[in-house]
Amino acid sequence: MIDSMKKLDSPVVEKAQTESVSSAFEALFLEHWARVYRLLCRLVGNPAEAEDLALEAFVRLYQRKPVSQDEFNVGGWLHRVATNLGLQSIRGWKRRERYELTAGKYALEEAGADGPAEIMIREEEQRLARLALANMNERQSQLLVMRYAGSSYKEIAETLKLAPTSIGPLLLRAEREFEKQYRALTQEERP
Amino acid sequence: MRKHLTDGELRAVLDGEFDSGGLRHLENCIDCQARQRQVRAESEKITHRLAFLASGDEPAPLPQKAWANFSQRILIKKETSMFKKWFAFPVVRFGTAALLILALILAFPGTRALAGELLNLFRIQQVAVVPVDFTGLEQLTGDGVLGNQFTDLISNSMNITQEPGDPTEAADAAEASQLAGFNVRLPQSATPSQIYVMDGAAFSLTVDRAKAQALLDEAGRGDLVLPESVDGADISVSIPASASAAYGTCPRPQADSSETEDTERRYPDCVILAQIPSPSVSAPADLDINQLAQIGLEFTGMSADEAANFTSTVDWTSTLVVPIPSNSANYEQVTVDGVAGTLIQRPSREGEPTTFELLWVRDGIIYAISGRGANSDQAVEMANSLP
Repeated sequence: MIDSMKKLDSPVVEKAQTESVSSAFEALFLEHWARVYRLLCRLVGNPAEAEDLALEAFVRLYQRKPVSQDEFNVGGWLHRVATNLGLQSIRGWKRRERYELTAGKYALEEAGADGPAEIMIREEEQRLARLALANMNERQSQLLVMRYAGSSYKEIAETLKLAPTSIGPLLLRAEREFEKQYRALTQEERP
Repeated sequence: MRKHLTDGELRAVLDGEFDSGGLRHLENCIDCQARQRQVRAESEKITHRLAFLASGDEPAPLPQKAWANFSQRILIKKETSMFKKWFAFPVVRFGTAALLILALILAFPGTRALAGELLNLFRIQQVAVVPVDFTGLEQLTGDGVLGNQFTDLISNSMNITQEPGDPTEAADAAEASQLAGFNVRLPQSATPSQIYVMDGAAFSLTVDRAKAQALLDEAGRGDLVLPESVDGADISVSIPASASAAYGTCPRPQADSSETEDTERRYPDCVILAQIPSPSVSAPADLDINQLAQIGLEFTGMSADEAANFTSTVDWTSTLVVPIPSNSANYEQVTVDGVAGTLIQRPSREGEPTTFELLWVRDGIIYAISGRGANSDQAVEMANSLP
């Protein structure tokens, strides 16, 4: 669930952007930081990369031109931008070795009681799932990330600017596309 | 009687996000129930695959620490934004981009110290091209560890004394000349679609030898040792106002250089004529910048002998050295506008269009004509038609 997806009046955002790293922006940063970081951590599977991408998402918010509409959904905007940054980062992985060096190390640290074989299988499945997400079109992958991170249809509709009644059909289509991508990757990598 | 539920509606039912009317239909419709079992099975498979996205309580870096890192990042971006803005301007974008500044800093050396003078002052009178391997330079300007280290080094040692401001549009050559402070020459046979003038900029750098050496070490070039004498040297760079005229359909000057690649593809008939009086660089007279230039060339992949040979053939006090990628560009000397110029052509590669740049210097003004396509003759014609 996207907690604190509240809307802020645009003057607050504008104020935050016109002052030099102002206290208004600091309050906004502190409010949203943990949520953005955690989303990215789960998405890319690497804490250091997640921290870097989360900071970049806030830099983009800071640099964003003042909004013209009456209200600006900061939480939703950050969620969308952070997800895109995460997916871009996944697309840049290219090589499996790098992924194993980064996400694999993190998985071992988080493994708990599982044995090495279980960790490897789970890690491989997650790697394929992340790549499948990154291979999809932006709206579909955003939709899946939001839904499986726990967002309600209402929150998804607000963030992605969709009609609430269209979420079910779009979600199903996105899931089917995801499965297609996942299977294609599995076939591709099968020896 | 309500119609059967669609698969999408059945998916929403699984999430408890469907209206009660639909649910009542589902309770009594065997067909919908059968399809719902199928949708559920599909959905459960995805739920398993994407379970790692589910919210958890992963420890996040402390917000205050993250805020400190964020503030530092903003500070660095602010200090480097002047360069981005400047690099985004056509006079720099199409020719040498960030490398022009590197060339100015690294390759504008002081071999002609006048006795008794504290500073060497250099001005460009000609252009020389040096083909280099760009791998090392790309590392410096990229987003990797080395790129960040380079950004930090520049940010910490640079003091911006004059910010360039935003480009100003001019109606004609006369207005552009007035705004830019020098005689802007435009061909009379063609009408530009845009004319812009960019304010001048100035900055000074104080060299931190330890950090610069650490950068070379990090890049795997610990064999290149910077002389002790560079430490603390103050180098000042003054970049005058420049003018740029666009012919054909061209992008407006971008403040954000990240959009450059895309816009270049979208404007295949754009030709830009840019002109700028020579930037000036001053450096301590006792600074052996010849040696620094040689290190810079070796960093780009030249052997020590090749770098020494090149360094000895160039009059560093008056030559703008333009590095071009050795494996993806070629160049030739041409006579244009009554002087010797250099025509650089980059053949089409990996989806990138063919491009050309014509550079020359006349009466202390650097000129550059850049465009897409293989027809570089139009650049030569344009240069020769300047009044």
